[in-house]
Formats: sequence, C-alpha cells, structure tokens
Amino acid sequence: MSEKKQQVSRRQFLNYTLTGVGGFMAAGMLAPMVRFAIDPVLQPASTGDYQAVAQLEDITNEPQRFDWTIDQIDAWYESEVTKSAWVYKDDNDEIIALSPVCKHLGCFVSWAGSDEHPDQFYCPCHDGRYYKDGVNVPGTPPAAALDEFEYKTEDGTLYLGKAKPRGA
Amino acid sequence: MKWQKEDIDQYQGAEEFVDTLLIPLMPITMNSKKDIKKLAFQGDLLNFFANEIEKQFKGRIFLIPTYSYYESNESENEVERLNNWVNQLTKNPFKHVFFLTFDHHWKKDERNLDGNLLWFPAIQTEEIDSKQTQPILKDQITQINELIRSYW
Ligand code: FES
Repeated sequence: MSEKKQQVSRRQFLNYTLTGVGGFMAAGMLAPMVRFAIDPVLQPASTGDYQAVAQLEDITNEPQRFDWTIDQIDAWYESEVTKSAWVYKDDNDEIIALSPVCKHLGCFVSWAGSDEHPDQFYCPCHDGRYYKDGVNVPGTPPAAALDEFEYKTEDGTLYLGKAKPRGA
Repeated sequence: MKWQKEDIDQYQGAEEFVDTLLIPLMPITMNSKKDIKKLAFQGDLLNFFANEIEKQFKGRIFLIPTYSYYESNESENEVERLNNWVNQLTKNPFKHVFFLTFDHHWKKDERNLDGNLLWFPAIQTEEIDSKQTQPILKDQITQINELIRSYW
C-alpha cells in the first residue's frame, strides 16, 4: 500500500516537474515575442538606440571620457555593460565622440595617456597612437582611425548611438 | 582576449602581441553557510575584476578561465598543480603571468609561484552593482591596471 502510494506520488512529482519545464520553455519562447511586441513602449530613457551620455555644458575642447551602462542581452544572458567614449568639441564647435577601443587589437586608449604625446590618444598595449581627430598615427600598430559614435543633442543632453568605422 | 571562439580567431595571427596571461584563482567550499556566502561573493568580485581588466587590455592580456580549487589550508598541492598548469600554458610564448585572487592563502606561497601574485583584500559589501560600490571598485581596478602596466 505504502509502496503504491509512493509510486503515484513519484509519478505526480515527475509530472509536475515536466509541466514545470514545459511551462518554462513556453515562457521562454513567448517572452521574446511579447518583448518584441511591447518593447518600444518600454524605453523611455533612451530614444531609439541612442543613450544619454553627458550634459552639453560639460563638454570642452579637451577630450574627456564618459561612461554609461546599457542592458545587453547575449542570447539568454542579460547583463549590464559599461560603454565609454572620448568626447570633445572641435574647433568648429562640432561634437566628436570617439570609441576608446584601439583598432589594433582592442585595448582601451586614453587621451594624453603617454607623457611624450600629451596631444594624442595613446594605447598602452603596443604603443598605438591616434591624433586628436581619431586618425591613427602612421608607424604605430593601429591600421585605422578610432570608430566614431553617431550622436544627437536634445535639451542640453548628448545622446550617443552606434560607433561606426571612419569613412563608412 | 578570452577563452571563447570569437577571441581565439583574433588571437591566432596576433600571438606575439598577446604576451600576458591573467589567471583568476577562486576557492570554493560547501562547508559552512557563512563561508559559502563569503567565497561566492568573492567569486563574483573576482569575475568582475578579471573581466574589467581584460576589457581594458584585450589586445595584450589573455584571460584564462578561472582556476578553482577546494578551500583548505594545505596549499602546497595547489601550488604544484597551478605551476604545472602555468608551465603548460607558457609553452606558448607568454612573457608575463599574473594570478588574481582574494584568497590570502596564496600570499605565503608567493615565492613558489611561477608568476606574479596580485592579491587584494576583498571589500566587504553586498552589492557589486550599487552606486556606492562601483566607484570604489573602478578605482581599485585602475590601480591594478597601473600595477600590471609597470611590469610591461
Ligand atoms: S591594441 Fe592598441 S596598439 Fe595594440
């Protein structure tokens, strides 16, 4: 008697678990669709793919680094990713926002990162250098200019979009 | 570089530029509730540090998957096992080897390790992501980065 009882409960148990798993799977399939359907409404903080990064009044002629975070979804794994840009105003008061990722092998470059070259971007990994406008200094490892962010300004705030290779 | 296919594609052909190994050392335990919590949190912290360092120095540092071991006071075996590991890895031409850990047990065996030990006391906090903690961690990472650069 007691054995029978146990069997039933074991079967029930399996049943529950499997339903549970199935439910999870269904939810997993549905979630992206639901997300797809309602997502645009759920993004008040950023306009489209643009993220608020800095106040315009804080931007000077000297490149400064600004960091911001985005929620990145890699397959099933959602995480906060910190993004960075070097931002300044050029001589025509145009905003320039450069990606810090070195075009050689991907280290982070920094403005005036080397004492010998205070007016260039410097990559500590293999001494790569870039002029202020992001163009790579010939004779150093990088073979291309730093990527440049698309940007827009609204109500005194700078929004950055995607970083694009130069001349693309 | 990380141990993932995308990065390996980039690594191959650029081997001579990637001359530094970073190996996080992470103790695990299932013994006491308190230790589990503490070590698991240090594990989170270790991952965070390792990933940030790799991100800044992607083109020169190879971040090896975390070396984990059961927490104990007898670390001699681990030293030997770890050195074996490293000796296999450094058959490829890596010039610098760094171990990153919050486990103070390694400190007393530092001299016997085939690499530089970067040991730091873990900060006591519950939240890695919180607004207060992040600047402290970022600052610590900047300092570690400077330390690594001083070896290059
Ligand atoms: S990664 Fe920047 S110079 Fe090599």
